[in-house]
Amino acid sequence: MTAALGEDRTYGVASDPRTATVIAFMVKRSLIRIRRIPAAFLPSLAMPVFQLIAFGGAFAGALAYAKINQALDWYVPLSCLQGAAFGAMGLAFATVNDLRTGFFDRLRMAPGGRAATVYGPLAASMVRAIIPLVIVSAVGFIGGAALPGGVLGLLTLTAAALGVAFCASGFGLGLALRMRTLAAATLTQFAIFFALFLSTAQMPLDFIQGWVKPIARLNPMTNVLRLAREGFLGEVTWQDTWGGLLAIAILGTLTTVYAVRGLRSFDK
Amino acid sequence: MTVALARQPIHEDLHQSAVRQTLALARRSVLGRLRQPAALAPSFVFPLFFAALSASSYSRVKNAPGFPKVDSFLQFGLAAAVMQGAFFGATSAAADLAVDIEQGFWERLMTSPVHRTSIVIGRLMSSLVVGALQATVFMGFLAALGVRVRSGPIGIVSIVVSASLVSLAMSTLMSTFAIKTGSPEVVQGMFPLVFVLMFLSSTFMPRELMHGWFRHVVDVNPISYLAEGMRGFVIERELSGWRFFEAIAIPSIGCVLALLLCLRALRRRLAQM
Repeated sequence: MTAALGEDRTYGVASDPRTATVIAFMVKRSLIRIRRIPAAFLPSLAMPVFQLIAFGGAFAGALAYAKINQALDWYVPLSCLQGAAFGAMGLAFATVNDLRTGFFDRLRMAPGGRAATVYGPLAASMVRAIIPLVIVSAVGFIGGAALPGGVLGLLTLTAAALGVAFCASGFGLGLALRMRTLAAATLTQFAIFFALFLSTAQMPLDFIQGWVKPIARLNPMTNVLRLAREGFLGEVTWQDTWGGLLAIAILGTLTTVYAVRGLRSFDK
Repeated sequence: MTVALARQPIHEDLHQSAVRQTLALARRSVLGRLRQPAALAPSFVFPLFFAALSASSYSRVKNAPGFPKVDSFLQFGLAAAVMQGAFFGATSAAADLAVDIEQGFWERLMTSPVHRTSIVIGRLMSSLVVGALQATVFMGFLAALGVRVRSGPIGIVSIVVSASLVSLAMSTLMSTFAIKTGSPEVVQGMFPLVFVLMFLSSTFMPRELMHGWFRHVVDVNPISYLAEGMRGFVIERELSGWRFFEAIAIPSIGCVLALLLCLRALRRRLAQM
């Protein structure tokens, strides 16, 4: 009996068709939670909007010196990625809460593979990332941001935001499953903050001097930001696109493995 | 006559005991904060990290037209680091007060024969001390990286005093929310508002590089003057009365206003008890 139960512990997505149903329900539950507990979601919306306005005003002169005349073109993509990543932090909070209330154990008993408890939140974070993406972009366009890259520019921004949401939530989930305390959410926040700001978040790479420059050059987030920004700063080109897509693919794989291993260690 | 003579020592005794109680509670509050390095660390680490990050990211911006004459962007950013430290620290001090209320320690103090104002002022004293400590640590750390305070020792002392007053004013304001709600979450949740005020000022960039509606907001935000006053001590050789007004008088006025609000919140809470 124990062996049979052990064999049921499947972690692949395609192991059981019911897994997809469980994932869909988890996405739905995550969206319902936004309506039921708006206070938990609002900061991930309000902070990027605020940051867009504050940075766009405070650092406009600095960016103008770097030949970027409209600061919002620089900060709309950054704020969109931050909104998407903040959602991941909320997901880590929600997971820890589910662990504490015992709801996570009920999820583990749901039909389908165990992987649904990982892929469900990952999918939910990508769906939820669309909300800050739309609102921050709208505020940016109202404020005067331009999109010379057109529809392709919007697509690259969307790909970058969803990719960041996926990677950040994979990391947050992996930490939450290992630590099982709210400190996981705080650590996720720190990781997101450092990953974003030790890149070209504030200024173009050519303008950065000193210790941040080599880190920003190696930081995959620099490529993801380039992908997100290219439509706002000019035409979309493959040269500015592939690096960001590759970074998302590699980070996405690593963070998913981290989350699934976290689930395995939780099961043990 | 006998009654009048007898009253005076009692009144003096009460006054002395209120001072003693305030000092004892202040000591508890200061030690309580210093004994929690994990809670205190972010208010030291983050401002220094931001200063180092900005110095690297915006180092070339110091050559932009309109930017004040500075040795490095780090020198320009010293005042911003001190301000951030004071703001960060103030939030956690007020959150500590909210924890006291939530855990019932506050009510035990209230039912004890301790002067009520002493309870509040004693708790707030930790912000004054931590603010001074932060400013000293930041200036020492940045001095090791070559940042000089051009106005000399008087400027250094003025920055420390200013940081203490900013910290006290902010923690008093945040304590008002702590007393009103008794919830550490609400106090922590107020931090973004503080963050908003700081970014809508000239704390991180000079006003000369700002334009449009944002510039108007920055012009009317008192935090801009506070930051510029503190920065004036760092980047200007000559001491001016205006800089003292900006760096010392503005936070002092803030302290008085915030204390009035805080004591009003305290009276209301006591009336509900």
